Amino acid sequence: MSFASEWTAVGRSLLGSLGNNSSGLLRTTSHDIMTKLACGNFYSQQRTFIQMRTNLKVVDNSGAKRVMCIQALKGKKGARLGDTIIASVKEAQPRGKVKKGEVVYGVVVRAAMQRGRCDGSEIKFDDNAVVLVNKQGEPIGTRVFGPVPHELRKKKHVKILTLAEHIA
Amino acid sequence: MRLEKCWFCSSTIYPGHGIQFVRNDAKIFRFCRSKCHKNFKMKRNPRKVKWTKAYRRLHGKDMTQDSTFEFERKRNRPERYDRNIAENTLKAIKKIDKVRVDREAKHHALRMKGKKAKEQREAAKELEQSIHMVKAPTALQQEPSFTLPKVKVQVSNPQENRLMEE
Repeated sequence: MSFASEWTAVGRSLLGSLGNNSSGLLRTTSHDIMTKLACGNFYSQQRTFIQMRTNLKVVDNSGAKRVMCIQALKGKKGARLGDTIIASVKEAQPRGKVKKGEVVYGVVVRAAMQRGRCDGSEIKFDDNAVVLVNKQGEPIGTRVFGPVPHELRKKKHVKILTLAEHIA
Repeated sequence: MRLEKCWFCSSTIYPGHGIQFVRNDAKIFRFCRSKCHKNFKMKRNPRKVKWTKAYRRLHGKDMTQDSTFEFERKRNRPERYDRNIAENTLKAIKKIDKVRVDREAKHHALRMKGKKAKEQREAAKELEQSIHMVKAPTALQQEPSFTLPKVKVQVSNPQENRLMEE
């Protein structure tokens, strides 16, 4: 157990020193890699924000399959459940509305990191998933798969809620 | 506000407590505390974990069928607020709780029923067999009863009283 805590301490100190660099592209990943390596075998996983280089699953029928976050709009540490991100399409279906390599906007509909609700409870999902939207916030696809949280209503993503099959 | 049940231990989850986990097949698991959550992540089956209600009900340690449980079933239709009904419901909740606790106590007593006689028999047998641990065999020959011989001890009192008076 002490080994794990040592690792996390090292990870945190690394991030502290790297925080000063504004141009951190690949380095910011070392933090979540560290936490995952350290905690994976000894304790339960420590889930964090959705940041640059985070792979997300696409859960609509816009054509993309996997998407990599390149920027979290709003939030210094990263995006959470219900936030919008800018992402780059890494994997796409052959005939879809988006192609591989395109830069798109997305709304995070499922996040493994727990989010507090206003009644005091917390909610978390099994994976990180995103629904692609255009700049105005309207979804590109016409269907959404899997459960979505209530939080989207407050963020004014009502269209996604109407397309959803289950609201958690 | 709705009081949920913990998926693992079946205790009530009050508002502000616990974590909800939503699986991708849209099944929602609610946990009352991190103990239950961690056990779930370890993929433990609550029916095999001794301290959960699921285990206790399955193995007959707790009551399974009772009319008091019918009152607590989940109702999805919201009812129009009526002050009288609300007042009566609150009174009824107290009464039903009392009745349920009494019935559970009876169930427990019934479960533990044959124990006292069994304990007495075991104690008698042990006394017979292991009396040599407590009373020397020679003393047993002189006085063949299972009680220890009474020894008189002199206690000096007067001085102790004077110390206490101060």
